[in-house]
Amino acid sequence: MGTEKREAHHYTTYAYNAEIKEKRPYPPCRAACPVNTDVQGYVGLIAQGRYEDAFELIHAVNPIASTCSLICHHPCEQECRRNDVDEPLAIRHLKRFALEQATEYRRKKRKPIPQTKEESIAIIGSGPAGLTAANDLAELGYKVTVFERHPTLGGMLSSAIPPYRLSREALQEDIDDVLAKGIEARTNCQIGKDLTLNDLTEEYDAVLIAVGLSLSRSLPIPGVDAPDVLLAIPFLNDVAYGKQPKVGEKVLVIGGGNVAIDVARSARRLGCEHVEMVCLESAEEMPAWSWEVEEAAEEAIEVHHRWGPQAIRVNDGKVEGLEVVKVKSVFDEDGRFSPVFYDDQTSFIPADTIIITIGQMSDLSFLEGTPVEVDERGRLIWDRDTQMSSADGIFTTGEVITGPGSAIAAAANGHRAAKAIDLYLRGEDIKLGLVAEEKETILAFPEELVQKLSKQSREKIVHLAPKIRTSNFDLFEVGYEEQAALMEARRCRTCGGGAIVNAAQCAACLTCLRICPYDAPLVTSKAQMIPEICQVCGLCAAECPGLAINMVSYDAGEFREHMSDIIGDVDPERDAPILVAFRCNHNAGVNGDQLPDNVRPVHMHCVSRLDVLDLLKAFECGADGAYVMICDEENGKYKNVPSRVKKRIEYVRQLISNIGLESERLSYFEAGTHPDEVWRQAARKMTEKVKALGKD
Amino acid sequence: MIVADQKPINEILGMLERYDKVLFVGCQTCVAVCMAGGEKETGVLASLVRLARQKAGQPIEIDEAAIQRQCEEEFIEPLEADGYQAILSLGCGVGVNKLADHFGIPVLPGLNTGFMGHIEEHGVWAETCAGCGDCVLHRTGGICPVVRCAKSLMNGPCGGYTDDGLCESGTGAPCAWIAIYKRLKELGLLESMTETSPPKDWSKDRFSGPRTRVREDVRL
Amino acid sequence: MKLTELIDSGKFVVTGEVGPPKGTDLSDLVKEAKTLMPAVDAINVTDMQSATMYLGSLATCHIFKENDLEPVYQLTCRDRNRIALQSDLLSAVTLGIENVLILTGDHPLMGDHPQAKPVYDVDSVQLLEIASHLGEGEDMVGNELNGKLDLCLGAVVRPIAEPLEPQIIKLEKKVKAGARFIQTQGVFDASHFEKFMNAIQHIDVPILVGIILLKSDRMARFMNKNVAGVEVPEPLVEEMANAKSKAKTSVQIAGRLINEMKDMCQGVHIMSLGWEKRVPEVLAAAGLYELPKKKKKKKVE
Ligand SMILES: Cc1cc2nc3c(=O)[nH]c(=O)nc-3n(C[C@H](O)[C@H](O)[C@H](O)COP(=O)(O)OP(=O)(O)OC[C@H]3O[C@@H](n4cnc5c(N)ncnc54)[C@H](O)[C@@H]3O)c2cc1C
Ligand code: SF4
Ligand code: SF4
Ligand code: SF4
Repeated sequence: MGTEKREAHHYTTYAYNAEIKEKRPYPPCRAACPVNTDVQGYVGLIAQGRYEDAFELIHAVNPIASTCSLICHHPCEQECRRNDVDEPLAIRHLKRFALEQATEYRRKKRKPIPQTKEESIAIIGSGPAGLTAANDLAELGYKVTVFERHPTLGGMLSSAIPPYRLSREALQEDIDDVLAKGIEARTNCQIGKDLTLNDLTEEYDAVLIAVGLSLSRSLPIPGVDAPDVLLAIPFLNDVAYGKQPKVGEKVLVIGGGNVAIDVARSARRLGCEHVEMVCLESAEEMPAWSWEVEEAAEEAIEVHHRWGPQAIRVNDGKVEGLEVVKVKSVFDEDGRFSPVFYDDQTSFIPADTIIITIGQMSDLSFLEGTPVEVDERGRLIWDRDTQMSSADGIFTTGEVITGPGSAIAAAANGHRAAKAIDLYLRGEDIKLGLVAEEKETILAFPEELVQKLSKQSREKIVHLAPKIRTSNFDLFEVGYEEQAALMEARRCRTCGGGAIVNAAQCAACLTCLRICPYDAPLVTSKAQMIPEICQVCGLCAAECPGLAINMVSYDAGEFREHMSDIIGDVDPERDAPILVAFRCNHNAGVNGDQLPDNVRPVHMHCVSRLDVLDLLKAFECGADGAYVMICDEENGKYKNVPSRVKKRIEYVRQLISNIGLESERLSYFEAGTHPDEVWRQAARKMTEKVKALGKD
Repeated sequence: MIVADQKPINEILGMLERYDKVLFVGCQTCVAVCMAGGEKETGVLASLVRLARQKAGQPIEIDEAAIQRQCEEEFIEPLEADGYQAILSLGCGVGVNKLADHFGIPVLPGLNTGFMGHIEEHGVWAETCAGCGDCVLHRTGGICPVVRCAKSLMNGPCGGYTDDGLCESGTGAPCAWIAIYKRLKELGLLESMTETSPPKDWSKDRFSGPRTRVREDVRL
Repeated sequence: MKLTELIDSGKFVVTGEVGPPKGTDLSDLVKEAKTLMPAVDAINVTDMQSATMYLGSLATCHIFKENDLEPVYQLTCRDRNRIALQSDLLSAVTLGIENVLILTGDHPLMGDHPQAKPVYDVDSVQLLEIASHLGEGEDMVGNELNGKLDLCLGAVVRPIAEPLEPQIIKLEKKVKAGARFIQTQGVFDASHFEKFMNAIQHIDVPILVGIILLKSDRMARFMNKNVAGVEVPEPLVEEMANAKSKAKTSVQIAGRLINEMKDMCQGVHIMSLGWEKRVPEVLAAAGLYELPKKKKKKKVE
């Protein structure tokens, strides 16, 4: 089984109804994604084995897609409606699979974008925000130069996020895509040192400050100056650039966030067996993602909860440990960070290396003496409506203004900044141009519906064993095999991709209402499908006598429209009968088989959508026979499919036999309990059967 | 709603025999709802006819159209029939009549128009009104004896109904009068069954030539 | 002779039944009727029974009259509209027919011309009313008639039905519309009949209980399955099955049934279905007739 065998006849084009899709409420996964990735769209494409198309859909909105596929905190999954059924879809991991499959394709695609615009733009900082803005502006035809003080591009992605989570090869794919557009990258160039901001404003028509939060905060406690007391970012920089920072035998990380976990896990990989963390928060309050905490625990990293650092005990220049005081509460009544301690309850945590990881801040020293103003607390002053700083033509983006967040959020802001600069350079109203339309989101599954949805557990994401993974900085997570990816992709309920009614065609006949296994249609004067409920099975569209129903995620009429292409030229001298095989792409992938040349596969998300018209069309366009692969009710994704599809087949058999064609020319195979075998043999059996009947 | 059924395919093929360029016109109202002549069925029939003619070595060119209601001039108006030798209408008989009046080419019926009825269950339609022009439903508990009784009896059942309340005619239809009796009893109105209904005035039914209805106040 | 006259005279009335043939030769039918006639008061002539096309009952009744056979002219609503029905009633009177049995008529779907357009312009209640009205010297729309119509009108009822009440309601209407005697569907269970008679106590009309001659157990089972309102109890079916001579047993059963029911009603209507020649034996078995061997009287009592 492989992708190459199944690429022949997929006419499901995601571009279909893209416009309508934009006007429809978003599924929660898409709404939760800062760049609104069409999750349902690309997962559906993966389910069809169309990995390159999936890549296109992902990449269209996310220039750091490979990065995200490894390190995104995936708000999409948190919001996935499958949470209410069993477990969320493994969206991030599927994205990784698709991108890995499309690597060659993507490399071949790279090409410079012609500069069609006069203006040039300088971008300071090459993190997700700067990189995304550079990508978009280059795409628009501007001349773009990125200035980066580090030797590599990518900001925190390349300089801080440890490679065991984000492989530099994956990151490089993202960066290469952007660079290929014709962007000039000036690494090892620090603005404020190697060049000044004024140099840039003189040379460029617009400047974008995307410097992120590059400084680690320290603690105002005794002992911090000791040599074995380290700060997170410089430590991670060293790790990232392979400098193997020296750590002792017992490392204590102060902090409870994600960066702290990265620091602790990096320390483990530097050879330290005893790594501990101490933080103010309880396990529940801790800001780090729960899965990261779990992964750290697997690597034998212990966390001391609810202790506040008081002093670092240093003896003879050597760190001995941390004196701590018990935390009474971390947040005040309004939920603001305002720790209170039990002054009388203290303790001591021994350690020979202490790494402080309590947050980052930006380094804005390069702004001194420039028209760009900072506020009294040293923060860049900017206009939320325009992304512009206090100086005309100098814009800003990313964490330097939004504060700490995620890579994808920084990228989303980079998109916005690029748009702002484009509007500015074209002399248009930036504020007006940036106003984002409020999107409606599809609500949760109603409770009664959840009972009707088939359960299918999430495909496991494999991690290397803790012992193995802590011995190096290699990626600790293993990508999906194709089978697993196809299984997982099918779990998506295609939220919001469902039925839509063309009111002009609707006769309010109530067929949809009666046929829908999920009670999605609402028929008053015309039918309307409730997007929260529709499961996109397509049963209704195939039954509607007015052809009034179509789908947001596919075109119900595409098979019949393309049938003559699918069948191709019919050789009157043919030896083997021409057969059309209607099959679901899921099984075509999972139980994939080598189809003989006489068989023309037509793949779809579920044969539920097969219309009487589709079946007839196969014969009209010259097929000698046709067959449908049917899953059984239990293993199918949707309800009531086998019985309904069999009825349609039976009807068409009757129709063709009325005009003198043998009804056996149309057949179906039920997958039953040995789907792989049935799938493998179907083509041969049907070929024999139809051959015996002769050419039609 | 008007309930119709597609004509047997061989009858349709026979009607079309002499043509090789035909327009199939569906109707998106009653016959769409009863799944006989909407856009979908028009497509199915067209596909089947093309297939049959191909097989017979006499290919036929068929274009498909479906209009909102074939019984209205305004909906027919935009339909172009130039270049076709004939039209096959998948409307009810009214539609066929209207199209035939409108176009100067032969208009053939694709359906057998059946009756006025309702949907009993999805895929099952039943006749419930005969359009007799002189409604008696107030006396019969809302169950029409004119059409639901095989003999249009007006004064109670014949002696033929079965123990399970089916009509003697063997069509499987329930005996209308047993249903009427039960309904009237439920409603406490059985006395209306004991009053003798006089012979019906059938001149108001379709037996006196085509019926028309005029409302002067709404005429244009 | 009008049946009502006999009934009014206190006689227990007996009627038989024959069906005209498909064709034009009535000689066999007349012969059969003649074997029947001595034992009965009148003979029903069916109007295309089972919705099958036969020689007409009006013509047959006329021939019967010519042969001194007393006919009951059966007239159904199935094949004629109100114009033809009235006209046929006038014809009947002209031909000297006195007894008319008015029925709805089996549906054409049950006969040999299922494609026929059923008429049912009027129903049996309405036709009874129309016929009664003709008796007043006017047609149904009030036009005067020359000559007088004096018909003895009869109707039918099905005594065993579920539900029964609609039959009773209709019976009331038929009587109100002018039915002067009622013949019933065949009855095989006296207790059922008793119940029916109790239920129609309030209706003042002579009832002639229907008796069907069983020819075999197979026929009994067939009727149980296919003929509405006919229920042959299992013991009777068995009796027929075990019978050495079907004919004899059939006669015994019919005679026994008549005996059991004759006190509850005013007459009996025997449907012999081709076994016309057995009818005298049946009546003899019921004590209503003495077989001609003794050649004393035509009828007992
Ligand atoms: C350790 C760590 C782990 C993280 N893990 C995750 C994760 O798992 N998932 C996730 O979504 N996010 C994660 N993040 C957050 C993510 O990296 C940031 O949200 C993102 O990098 C912010 O992007 P940015 O473009 O705003 O800034 P940055 O990525 O910080 O990029 C700013 C760039 O500007 C450069 N720069 C600064 N000043 C100058 C100057 N004067 N001249 C030239 N160049 C300059 C810096 O060197 C830097 O390269 C992590 C962050 C850290 C630190
Ligand atoms: S099931 Fe699919 S479309 Fe629905 S929320 Fe989850 S990922 Fe998105
Ligand atoms: S039948 Fe399927 S596609 Fe149609 S509304 Fe229901 S769930 Fe949606
Ligand atoms: S059985 Fe009932 S419905 Fe049928 S003809 Fe008789 S009265 Fe009418």
